[in-house]
Amino acid sequence: MASISVPVGGVPTQAAPRPRLRASDFLRWSVDHKIIGVQYMVTSFVFFLVGGTLAMLIRWELLTPNLDLVQTGSQYNSLFSVHGLVMIFLWIIPMFAGFGNYLVPLMLGAKDMAFPWLNAFAFWLIPPAGILMLGSMLVGAPEAGWTQYPPLSTLFSGDGQTLAALAVHLLGISSILGAINFIVTIKNMRPAGMSYWQMPLFVWAILATSIIVVMATPFLAGGLTLLILDRIAGTTFFDANRGGDVLLWQNVFWFYSHPAVYIMVLPGMGVLSDVLTTHSRKPIFGYKMVALSSLAIALVGFTVWAHHMFTSLQPALRIPFMITSMIIAVPTGIKIFSWLGTIWGGKIRFTSAMLFSLGFLSMFVIGGITGVMLAMIPFNLHVHDTYFVVSHLHFVLFGGSVFAIYSGIYHWFPKITGRMLNERLGRWHFVLTYLGFFFTFFPMHFIGMLGMPRRVAVYLPEFQGLNTIASISSFVLGLSTFLLVINVIISLRNGRIAGANPWRSLTLEWATTSPPPATNFIGDPVMFPDPYGYGMPEAAAYLESIDRQFGAPARPPVTDKPAPGVTVVESGD
Amino acid sequence: MNSTKVGPRTVVTLIIVGVLLIVGGFLISQATPLIFPVEASAEARQIDQLFRIALLIGGAIFLLVQGLLAYSVWRFRARAGDLSDGPNIHGNTTLEIVWTAIPAVIVVVLTVLSYSVWTSIQSVKPDEQAVEVQGARFNWAFTYSTPDPRDSSKTLSFKSTELHTYIGRPVRLEMRTQDVIHSFWVPAMRIKQDVIPGRVTEYRFTPVEAAGETYPARYPIQCAELCGAEHGNMIAWVVVHQTEDDYTAWFNQEVDKVLNPPADPVVRGEGILASQVYPCHTCHVLNTETLQWAGNVGPALNGVGDRAAGPRSTATGLSAADYLYQSIHEPNAYLAPGFGPLMPQLNIPECETRSIVAYLCTLTSSGQPACTVELPPECGAGAPPEATPEATAEGTPESSFDPSAPPSGEGASNPTPEATAPAADVTAEATAAP
Repeated sequence: MASISVPVGGVPTQAAPRPRLRASDFLRWSVDHKIIGVQYMVTSFVFFLVGGTLAMLIRWELLTPNLDLVQTGSQYNSLFSVHGLVMIFLWIIPMFAGFGNYLVPLMLGAKDMAFPWLNAFAFWLIPPAGILMLGSMLVGAPEAGWTQYPPLSTLFSGDGQTLAALAVHLLGISSILGAINFIVTIKNMRPAGMSYWQMPLFVWAILATSIIVVMATPFLAGGLTLLILDRIAGTTFFDANRGGDVLLWQNVFWFYSHPAVYIMVLPGMGVLSDVLTTHSRKPIFGYKMVALSSLAIALVGFTVWAHHMFTSLQPALRIPFMITSMIIAVPTGIKIFSWLGTIWGGKIRFTSAMLFSLGFLSMFVIGGITGVMLAMIPFNLHVHDTYFVVSHLHFVLFGGSVFAIYSGIYHWFPKITGRMLNERLGRWHFVLTYLGFFFTFFPMHFIGMLGMPRRVAVYLPEFQGLNTIASISSFVLGLSTFLLVINVIISLRNGRIAGANPWRSLTLEWATTSPPPATNFIGDPVMFPDPYGYGMPEAAAYLESIDRQFGAPARPPVTDKPAPGVTVVESGD
Repeated sequence: MNSTKVGPRTVVTLIIVGVLLIVGGFLISQATPLIFPVEASAEARQIDQLFRIALLIGGAIFLLVQGLLAYSVWRFRARAGDLSDGPNIHGNTTLEIVWTAIPAVIVVVLTVLSYSVWTSIQSVKPDEQAVEVQGARFNWAFTYSTPDPRDSSKTLSFKSTELHTYIGRPVRLEMRTQDVIHSFWVPAMRIKQDVIPGRVTEYRFTPVEAAGETYPARYPIQCAELCGAEHGNMIAWVVVHQTEDDYTAWFNQEVDKVLNPPADPVVRGEGILASQVYPCHTCHVLNTETLQWAGNVGPALNGVGDRAAGPRSTATGLSAADYLYQSIHEPNAYLAPGFGPLMPQLNIPECETRSIVAYLCTLTSSGQPACTVELPPECGAGAPPEATPEATAEGTPESSFDPSAPPSGEGASNPTPEATAPAADVTAEATAAP
């Protein structure tokens, strides 16, 4: 790498005034990708709190083997149905769309997304869809689970089912529009000199995710259209007594919904690649393998859908789907070992962002192991549709995606707001989330294997002990979320000023003020040729030049103890 | 990672770590019996053994990753005041090949093992005991068939709410659903198979003797596919007898009940409802001295006799008994006000339907039956078996409708009860003035 010279920006120091954004700017139509990004994040976080409240009600009900909190099984069914729909379609997917919106143009040194108007339009589909989704609970709540299997969802559910399907339809359109925008932006708006192999891995992850969204989501739209027609227009696509086929839905639904798992996890893996390198001060281990494994997961992910149907698919068809589902474990393993290789030998800083990324590694691997177990048909026949699956999917989507979201929030909050989050509160948030999460979901493996199906409000009394552990832990997990909320509120007003590059990171979003000006950069930003070139003398020189240009951060954010002689503006501690 | 210069110390360390991981994985895999229900089938033994291997491998990987993570976090933490970067290492091709190849080998091994277990558990076994399963919201029912002792050219069948079998006899279930998708799961047998509208699915298992079990042993059957409000309560039981003789004793007793039903249709109808072989109790409310139903989906049945003879008779033009018959036979022909078309076509045999009608006629506020039903001779004790309407999945409701059955369109235009069903044996005497 001797060819790398130290690029030093020739722009005068701190030329741009700090942008003054008011709260009302975020409530209006705007085509600025940064405002849209924040709109996505705040909106989806509100829905996270809604979905989390539903989860708390579910766990409350499951404290005892009998109905107590809810009056009827139908009410319970609507709790977990809406919980699943909200968490998937209104929290994780739009949250990562928010990260992508805010970060991709900055990481590419661009002024905005390729299609700013389309970008805003895609976001503004979400609030009406959210209202439809929550409104569905008022008019005969959906009771068929987030999977909405007919004929339960077509012939036996209330009108809320139609509203929920329409909401998901809208959210799918929003996803597709956003993904097209990402693909075009990444293809066309990279700065001169940045090849695909020099993009930050978060951008790679968003690219892989967007390819999946564009290829898979139209299938969901098709399936939902048939479902809605069956419900309101008297068609019989899914009515076996009148020429339809109930498995048609399952095939189409999972053809979207399995790739959707990667839509929800790949951006998190991108967050992890950026956070682990920055906070352990070491290059990513095997850049090309990490980037290509995202694409491999994206493509193989299209061939595994029917492993969700091992108990309904015709027996002869099950084997090929077991094989493909096993294969997808290999690129996933590559990622995990590459991340371990990344932190190995580094200088690990235990920031809150880093803790959540390490927590992701620790929890996601459990989801990976149980995923391989679930791909084994004979074992799957026992645990399919049990709490084992509930556990597995939460290890992937909470232990994976949500931990990555938390990590990303701690990492990029300084860029977005110009202020640091409080690290002590962040560590408490991590410890409570990690323990609460583990003891909520790990016992569910046993609950499922011992014989408790999922989606039941009543269960055999022998499962009460483990369910109580899960419920009480889940309350801890639920409350831990508010540590983040409190931290954000406190830090927005009183957090330490972040400066341009508080983590001394090499990717381009840090080569501008925090928050960035409306045009993102003053002049053309100067790119460091290797986004993960930590440990090179040229990298140190580059970081110094950034500090010279924008002003060094008040102090290194390694520890909460103020260095002697440094005045710290901080009241959150 | 110093794998570019692999010295003897590195090799020794790797071997020690490898052995520790395998030992750790083995110890974890020993927990297998604790996290499974009793092993009550031959399939359960195979699946548990497969899982034990998967848990050994998974446990070792778990320990490897968490161990590497914990070691890195402790060993490579930044010391206070150290603001320098780590070494500029971009990768190591050998390592990357290793951690691609080893997982690939592991998944190949697991795939081959899974394939062999799966082909074994789904293979056709010799001398299988065939039982039909009907899933309905929110009830399981089992139909046993045997040559009729009175006429061996015909088949005698009876329904049970429990699946009876015995140790060593392979069982093959033929499963159908009356309404939505259900999933038949016996945790003790480890097998699960969805029951799908429009299809007939199969389920195979062979009960084996479980250690420390007392016989006849009872194992729960859970519905595992969300099917509606009472999904969690959709539980039935497998009863495994120790010997074939024990099983035969139960079987003969059930056959005897079919051959010698109670003469009084009211008693017989009540017995059918009380046996819960049809899922009526899961949706309807009914409180009598003998029956306590708490379904909340369909209309309450207390006082249904009064309503049949009064407003329903007026609305449909049918006699009370004909109205009740139609409500069971063609549930969606007339819907009680305030209820949707949720009741499935249950295809209950003729004699049983009439007996149930006879019982429902007695559900009045006064206690006086609103109508009476007489059973034809072929429904009586010792009568030859009646043709059971086939519960084929493809069958449209019309195909199983017998046009000679009493309630018909013509009946509605003729107000005289006797003339409503001249050729049939259902006679209705409205006690409440219509």
